[in-house]
Amino acid sequence: MTTSFKIESRKTMGIAAMQGRGFYYPFDLSFDSNNRIYVLGRGHDYDTRGCRITVMDMNEEYHGTFASFGTQDGQFMWPSSIAISNSDKIYVSDEYLNKITIMTTEGKFISSFGQFGKGDGEFDGPNGLVFDNENKLYIVDHRNGRIQVFDEEGNFIQKFSSQGTSEGNLYLPWGITFHSDDRLYVSDWGNHRIQEFTTNGEFVRSVGSKGDQEENILHPSSCAIDDKGNIYISDWGNHKLKVFDKEGDFLCSNRGEATLSEWAKDFLNTNVEEKEARLKSKLVFELESFKNDPFNESAHIEKLFWCPTSLTFHKGNLLIVDSSRHRIQVYNKVYKI
Amino acid sequence: MSSNEILLMAHLMRRVGFGSTKDELNKYVKKGYDNQVDEILDLEPNYEVSTHMINRYQPDYESPMGSSANGATWLYRMVWSDFPFKDKISLFWHGIFATGYAKLANGYVLADQIKMFSNYGLGNYQDLLLQLSKDPAMIIWLDNCESHKGAINENYGRELLELFSMGTGNYTEKDIKEVARAFTGWTIANKDYMTAKSQRDSVWPYGRLAMHFEYKEDDHDGDEKTFLGETGKFNGEDIIEIICKQKATAKFISRHIYSFFVEDEPPVPEWPYKKPNNPEAIEALSEVYFDKGYNIKEMLRFLFKSKFFKSEKVWNKRVKSPIELVAGTLRITKEFHRPDKEQSLTNSHTQFMGQHAMNPPSVEGWHWGTEWLDSGTVVERVNFSSSKLGNVNNLGIRKIIDNIKSNISNQFTPEFLIEIVLEELGAIIVSKTTKETLNDFVKSKIDSEKDLTDDNLSEFLQLVGAMPEYQRT
Amino acid sequence: MLNSNPNRRDFLIEQKERSLVVIQLSGGNDAMNTLVPYTNGIYHDSRSAIHLTENKIIDINGSLGFHPEMGEINKLWNQNKVAVINGIGYPVPNRSHFRSMDIWHTAESETIASDGWLGRTIREIDPKHKNVVTAVNFGRGLPRALVCKDVPVASVGDLNTYGLMPDIKGSVQRENVLNYFSRMYGPNQGRDAILNTLSENGVSAMTGVDILSGANSQYSSSVEYADNPISNNLKDIAKVIFANVGTKIYYAQQGSFDTHAGELFNHAKLWKDLSDALGDFFEDLREHDRENDVTVLLFSEFGRRIEDNGSGTDHGSGGVAFVLGGSVKGGFYGEQPSLELSEQVEGDMKYNNDFRCTYATLLDQWLGIDSVPILGKNYEQHNFINTGI
Repeated sequence: MTTSFKIESRKTMGIAAMQGRGFYYPFDLSFDSNNRIYVLGRGHDYDTRGCRITVMDMNEEYHGTFASFGTQDGQFMWPSSIAISNSDKIYVSDEYLNKITIMTTEGKFISSFGQFGKGDGEFDGPNGLVFDNENKLYIVDHRNGRIQVFDEEGNFIQKFSSQGTSEGNLYLPWGITFHSDDRLYVSDWGNHRIQEFTTNGEFVRSVGSKGDQEENILHPSSCAIDDKGNIYISDWGNHKLKVFDKEGDFLCSNRGEATLSEWAKDFLNTNVEEKEARLKSKLVFELESFKNDPFNESAHIEKLFWCPTSLTFHKGNLLIVDSSRHRIQVYNKVYKI
Repeated sequence: MSSNEILLMAHLMRRVGFGSTKDELNKYVKKGYDNQVDEILDLEPNYEVSTHMINRYQPDYESPMGSSANGATWLYRMVWSDFPFKDKISLFWHGIFATGYAKLANGYVLADQIKMFSNYGLGNYQDLLLQLSKDPAMIIWLDNCESHKGAINENYGRELLELFSMGTGNYTEKDIKEVARAFTGWTIANKDYMTAKSQRDSVWPYGRLAMHFEYKEDDHDGDEKTFLGETGKFNGEDIIEIICKQKATAKFISRHIYSFFVEDEPPVPEWPYKKPNNPEAIEALSEVYFDKGYNIKEMLRFLFKSKFFKSEKVWNKRVKSPIELVAGTLRITKEFHRPDKEQSLTNSHTQFMGQHAMNPPSVEGWHWGTEWLDSGTVVERVNFSSSKLGNVNNLGIRKIIDNIKSNISNQFTPEFLIEIVLEELGAIIVSKTTKETLNDFVKSKIDSEKDLTDDNLSEFLQLVGAMPEYQRT
Repeated sequence: MLNSNPNRRDFLIEQKERSLVVIQLSGGNDAMNTLVPYTNGIYHDSRSAIHLTENKIIDINGSLGFHPEMGEINKLWNQNKVAVINGIGYPVPNRSHFRSMDIWHTAESETIASDGWLGRTIREIDPKHKNVVTAVNFGRGLPRALVCKDVPVASVGDLNTYGLMPDIKGSVQRENVLNYFSRMYGPNQGRDAILNTLSENGVSAMTGVDILSGANSQYSSSVEYADNPISNNLKDIAKVIFANVGTKIYYAQQGSFDTHAGELFNHAKLWKDLSDALGDFFEDLREHDRENDVTVLLFSEFGRRIEDNGSGTDHGSGGVAFVLGGSVKGGFYGEQPSLELSEQVEGDMKYNNDFRCTYATLLDQWLGIDSVPILGKNYEQHNFINTGI
């Protein structure tokens, strides 16, 4: 077999900002039925303004911002994931407050559910959220090592999996993806693998093995599946996008090819000295210290992924939340060369 | 009262790290003092929580934008290491090669410098100075990137001699200029963009960028220089080699080591005018410096095994720096067993007490010793340690309370309670006045075992955290 | 509170002293949307995204106007109690928050200094540090402006809860524990240098706490301040002023003015809170007949770009400062920088008066202290202090 595959960048969106246009340590995003993108900003502990939701679209138009840091209704402490229901309601998980907040797409608080605990409907660090096509909500309850299922109102339906390292167990899982009518893909962060379950909670298989080689993954945060069943993984610990075919065989990877977003261009056009100095710079280079340390390499080379936290397919575009660089890298689907 | 062996081990552990609990001290004493010294110097530390874990929950901790998350990451390492010696070493060098956020506006570059201290800080001093001269944070901090062939900036040349190696009085103004010439061409890559971002404090478009060293041959002054009587076409490496040969350098570094690990010396600007506390010790350390090829680790091995270090006269003869106070207290309370939001807040306390990690007041660093203490910082220090020790929900404090209850049984006396608590907290030695005061307090609150309530013990532990002895190390 | 040392207050001479209140606008206040050159076409052209609505701007001289939320400051302006210092800055602007703030704090623009200008001032006022509350900072951690070797400054987060060991539950229990605390820090305790210093500072910490909590409990006023950080700080400052405990310098901060994005909303809120708080503060001072004894300085580390970036403004240079008070001669000081392209410095307004001229004026003319040793040289002074009072 000599066929090779490729995945490449279409564009980059966003800019680092704690207020207004842009986001700060974005963790996740979701689309509503009008194709608007809701980007969930984690912010950081020393400046809480970045903790919010920014609304934009694929044309990089800015449509406002809502939600803020805090413990009141409609506020977050450590927001982790966002999902939007068929009826356009926004769900946000908060792994610090152990609750799920439901809001309108205008940012109006509707209700919330959940509290700390191990019982049904209780959480120890709710993370990834996803709806199936029956509007059931699957929540990664990460420190409890399980998935809990709820209806749209937040009523508990069932739960599955438990903490551990065996097949079908989870250890500090993060993201969750729904695909093909009845399949769920959970990013089993602590076990360095993607686990596939049916929506009833039956274990199907696991994909990926721990390591820093091309065919390995290290602490995956999220995954997405295309119409052919290919599996795209944000390989958070290796700072790469990895693609496997539906059998789980490695196809290709990408280390990051970010370009200047429209908002980034606006910034540089207003701050001309920075633009000119940037144009003179050599932004890509090799250093001895990059060996076996992609984190350090990403700190130096701006275009590379740095802690990618979430993958979403939307109308043929693959959106990758490139968290520590405060942007979204957009890729096409994998293709044969 | 703890045995002498325990007290000596407690002294060692306070100086090589941030203090140890009773259980740890018992374990180390069994190994023997000299073995413990060798293990600390020669073994790599283990960390209770991985950097991946920290980074998942607090993404800015390892990829810092601002001025504070670096300090918090460092504090995690001090708290989560089984032997935080390497972090103590980087704290030592950070105090001498003090580089700050104010001018860099880039946390990553500073965090890289701290990592460099822990990688090179126990090796040969010549290598360390070489790394320092190539360190991007230092290059910006002391303007070496603004020093050019034919148009030198003396800042780095001056401080290299005055603050980083020999101290004033051992070289001339001409020497400074020659050093500056030798270091021309030592700069950072993409200097214009990097300094523009620093000067404008810019995180745009996509966050801050790490930096790296670049040598520019065409901007290096390759002509002949005369430095400390030697002449040649010196480059930076040659200057460092000459510096390291000097007796003054050996003494200067020895005095820093003595001040940090044995007892507080006066602030550096007073050194030319005040004799060291223990001139023989400085002399002996200087000899090791030359005998062991400028090796810092061997100087420390000698020091920790020396009589002057072990002497009771120097126990508790230092004021805890704010970072030592906070890290030491958190190692006792064990409240951060996994990444936690409160960690960021806790780290800010060192700033309230006057030591903002990676943001020293100037190139001179902080003035140590009694200068940490003023009426404002005393309030912060006392309130921090008393509220942390008095919080009975903290894992470590809970354990201490359990130990108190299981050890006291029927024979409750105030003396016994005081003794157990002081032992648990790392064999703290207190004065007669303090002991009497604690004793009277206990008598006023606790008559028998049944008064050992959480509220009473919390108040007692708060008073213990507030005692003057807790401020010393 | 603590009765163990009844002589503690002996050194405090009850007198109505002049004081200086410094409020730092952290993050770089956008001067152009504070004092708005709203009749200038360049303002409208360069601020297409974030210009203020013309009919809401509070006109003050036909070409400049206050931000619409500065109504309370405008009332003081109309009473001739506000000096507007235009074009304030220093040579070779630095647009990093930290470095630029350091320059303002240390009053040293070329080298990295560690002492603050107010710290040096306190040392001049009280060289033997007889009074531990000569300066009071509201906020945690000391701004470098107040730092100076051997100069004690009390740092208060909130006057209502300020004290030693605040975690002890119940005031009786707390007083009890503090009595033991004062024994441990008392004169019977040891003899070495560290213990002496600890003991000395432990005692002055208690004294400071005692004085400041006294100020808190004595206070009464009919003025109702809003509940936000700057209002709370100014209310606490009023309490200490009325207690006449010899405090000469107060420090507080408002922020963050770092409005790179969402400026219209955020900048308006910051100025509304500050302006309203100052309105209440001056009303409180009037009620207690202290208006002429207090002068307030508002400053920021830099101004911002003339041109907006689509939703906010980026770091610039050249700013505006304000001095307010009953003893201030209202009016314009410094020149309004020209917005013409040829007059700009890298897209910013050009400074035309050194911030140290304002410091020198406050030191010499208001606090009556020779500014030269504190600022290192003689700076030309403004005449915004009404020396007749």
